Amino acid sequence: MLKPVGRLLAASVLVAGAVACAPGADGGRPGGRAPSEVSTEVAKAGQVTLTVWDQEVQGGQRAQIERLNAGFQAKYPNVRIHRVARSFSDLQKTLRLALSGGDPPDVVQANQGYASMGQFVKAGMLLPLTPYDRVYGWRKRYPKALTDLNSVSPDGRSIGTGDLYGVSLNGEIVGIYVNREKLARLGIGPPRTWAEFERALAAAKGKGELPVVFGNLEKLPAMQTYGVIQDQLAGKDPVRSLIFGTGGKWTDGPNVQAARTLADWAERGYFNKDANAVKWDDTPVDFAKGQGVFMIGGNWWAADLQKKMGAKAGFMAPPPAQAGAPPTTMGGESLPFSITSKSRHPDVAAAYIDYITSPQAMDVSVETGNLPALAAPSKRPEGALTKDVAAAWAELSKGDGITPYIDYATPGLADTLGGPLQELIAGRTTPEKALEAAQRDYEEFLKGK
Amino acid sequence: MSLRTPRARPPHARPPGEPRTIGWLYVLPALLVYAVFLLWPLVRGVWFSLYDWDGVSAGTWAGLSNYAETLTDPSLRAAFGHALILAVFYAIVPCLIAFVLVAIISRTRVRGLAVFRTVLFLPQVVAMVAVAVAWQWVYSADGPVNTVLRGLHRLGLPDWSRGWLGDFTFALPAVGLIGTWVEIGLAMVLFLAGVQKIPRELFEAARIDGAGPVREFLAVTLPALRRELAVALTLTTIAALRNFDLVYITTKGGPGDSTKVPAYEVYNRAFNTGEVGLACAIGVTLAVLVFAVTAAVGRLAEGRPGEAP
Amino acid sequence: MISARERWLNHAILVVFAVIALFPMIGVVATALSLPDADPGVFADAWREGHFALYLRNSLIVSTVTVVAGTLLSITAGYALGALRFRGSGPLFLLFLAGLTIPTEAVVVPLYFDLRSAGLDNTYAGVILPQTAQSVAFGAFWMRAYFRGVPRSLLEAARMDGASSWTTLWRVLVPMGRPAILTMVVLTSMWTWNEFLLPLVILNADDGVRTAPLGLSFFQGGHQTDYALLMAGALIIAAPIVAVYLFLQRHFIAGMLSGAIKE
Repeated sequence: MLKPVGRLLAASVLVAGAVACAPGADGGRPGGRAPSEVSTEVAKAGQVTLTVWDQEVQGGQRAQIERLNAGFQAKYPNVRIHRVARSFSDLQKTLRLALSGGDPPDVVQANQGYASMGQFVKAGMLLPLTPYDRVYGWRKRYPKALTDLNSVSPDGRSIGTGDLYGVSLNGEIVGIYVNREKLARLGIGPPRTWAEFERALAAAKGKGELPVVFGNLEKLPAMQTYGVIQDQLAGKDPVRSLIFGTGGKWTDGPNVQAARTLADWAERGYFNKDANAVKWDDTPVDFAKGQGVFMIGGNWWAADLQKKMGAKAGFMAPPPAQAGAPPTTMGGESLPFSITSKSRHPDVAAAYIDYITSPQAMDVSVETGNLPALAAPSKRPEGALTKDVAAAWAELSKGDGITPYIDYATPGLADTLGGPLQELIAGRTTPEKALEAAQRDYEEFLKGK
Repeated sequence: MSLRTPRARPPHARPPGEPRTIGWLYVLPALLVYAVFLLWPLVRGVWFSLYDWDGVSAGTWAGLSNYAETLTDPSLRAAFGHALILAVFYAIVPCLIAFVLVAIISRTRVRGLAVFRTVLFLPQVVAMVAVAVAWQWVYSADGPVNTVLRGLHRLGLPDWSRGWLGDFTFALPAVGLIGTWVEIGLAMVLFLAGVQKIPRELFEAARIDGAGPVREFLAVTLPALRRELAVALTLTTIAALRNFDLVYITTKGGPGDSTKVPAYEVYNRAFNTGEVGLACAIGVTLAVLVFAVTAAVGRLAEGRPGEAP
Repeated sequence: MISARERWLNHAILVVFAVIALFPMIGVVATALSLPDADPGVFADAWREGHFALYLRNSLIVSTVTVVAGTLLSITAGYALGALRFRGSGPLFLLFLAGLTIPTEAVVVPLYFDLRSAGLDNTYAGVILPQTAQSVAFGAFWMRAYFRGVPRSLLEAARMDGASSWTTLWRVLVPMGRPAILTMVVLTSMWTWNEFLLPLVILNADDGVRTAPLGLSFFQGGHQTDYALLMAGALIIAAPIVAVYLFLQRHFIAGMLSGAIKE
């Protein structure tokens, strides 16, 4: 009875075979070529709607981008900004789809690294910004370390060379938040060395306090915590070359040791026991409610915590091995704003990017409680917490102590390292096994890159 | 639901004068939409699955290697295993519960049966995304489940409270229980429909023979519900295999890989990690699995081979 | 014949399950309103911040078109397969039945790439057409079962009266089969309204066409921590289909009970 169906299916397969060549081979992509002529005269561009995708959904960053958008539209009444905001993970999940679609947004925040920007550049989805850089001088405005993060070779294989593909607004560092009140009650001063920090964790635990409040439902938080530990144990240069694929293995001794430290912390009860079930964004909420003496997290939470906790909360770079040595941590800059190669208004998009990264924009960043990527010309942070963040950033920048996020390394790392790290925290795997999984994925990606 | 073709009626049974081919005209529009937007994509999916393709640059021929990877990759194999475990929660548990409920209803003259039926079916109606959001709260650190368990702990029982959706052991059953909650109503409404077709005399006869609730159920109700059971099992098992929304919202496959399911991996591999060929292979495998389950359950419902239809 | 105790126990069991079925929903309402200090303003906040007016409208458009098209096609196809029994109807039915087992997951990836080539990504049509096809796969099966259950004598009688197959279908069989059709309509509208994966993939860029469940998912991404607001959002997107269900459930259950399932 299945015969007619079978015949029909066979016929369709034949038809398919006849018309099909390898998927993707037919779609001649125009994108990725730099425009030969650029214009900076936005006012003469006519009525333009600029669709912008950003991930600035948290209080402080949202206020910042809303003010900047309003400012740009006030300056150019002929431009309407259609803002689509989604959380970091939602943006990660949808950007690839949207960029390969027929009508992508004009401006997007594309994450740095091989996993996102490298692949988008390789596929010709993003516009090289070099011609606009000549007009607006972004490379002159930003230190080389920051523009390097947003530069990729045309084949997507090498970060730090080639054209500039995006410009970032804010600086980013992952550091240690401190509940000052609790720390004082425990009779501990702010830790000045990594060893002191670990002793503080033990002391907190000993007195019945939760040492580190931690939410790791998304897997990414553990990768950041791991990265912070890895920076201390492996040092910045090996970490940098590992992430940019120029040397080293995930299974190298210090990297394994870092995983062991993470496992130790979990085993000793330094984290809340349901860490793998708590959402990342719930962590600062719990911290503000008084859970945890410390919290390891990015400065992007500072603006909201400043409002909720005031002077109770402090922030510091992870303390170095020796007191007074330059600290190291993971970070860089916020997701860069890039122009898609299919945008119909690249000139307006470039003017928008220039506007939101201008010196005045850095002032707005400070005013809304954020950490601007460049020193703000006239504003200084006011809150205790945001001052801490600015000081840590200054110190880290001075000592060249910032290493890139580890999820830049491969697109699959969130699963192949993040997943095993969750198991590690639950005590279900060993540090060696966790990093072997990451190394396998890493090697495979480097092979195909 | 039967996979058998109806036996062609002998020609004389056809109403005389009924044009034979007009049927095609009636079917054609439906067939067209169906073929273009369901069958053709399936064919394309099979085609894509034979390539190594990242979705952006040109793909390279990969033969059956994507299928080999689907069957051998530990995390993908685990994903299919999880789907089978979910099937227990989605199909078997709800059917058992629905049987109990229906047995009760068929024995007792239940007051407010209509209300009860409406209420129990309600979870079927609510969007999975909304269900997921609600259950995230149910399972959350300060949600009702943990609050009750902490209350029990205060009464002297061990502390069973935990982060259910982030627990390697309990995340999958926790997701599964949401499925149970959703599917009970479906199974029950189907069984009720079946029970009401059973002649009352059969129940009366069983009771006169002195049958208790269990024997009455096994002797009268269950045999009469075979078809409904097949339909319920098929629909709920398919729902289990196709579970995407719940996992996407509540766990994203975590912790680790413990709630990864094939449906989620199709999306993840195609659009996150850029393994489009592999994603299609997983999708096709899933379709084959769904087809096999449907056929197998259908066969079961038909009874032993050779039995008169 | 049944003891009072068993009677009591039976009712107790039913009540327990009814409470379980309702429990998360009661919780949702309570959390959304932050009981006991009820604040209905949270619905207004969610409505505004989540752009739910737009998403509900989009869902309404997508569901209505899908269900209307799917129903018409299913009725004609089911009629042909169940009542006309033309040559080749057997294998054709199998073909439709096979479609019932094709999960969205198996076709969503190729659909994305092909619809994109056709310029249908981020359009209503891009989600309506595939979902109509899915509705037809189910509807043809469902309606065929109904049409097969129609007594042959009725068809003969209609034909004796000189009615064409078209007239017989729309004047006699469709009005008679209203419960079965309504059941199908409720089922397909429910599935379409609640569909998540397809819109997630196809409506990936344009905010303006996003459907309600998709909207809730992104709303959740942006308001992870605010359970009251999230729950309000969940209620908003669930409400329309629940209302339809409560309104039509009589017909729905009548459809179930009339035995449209019987093969």
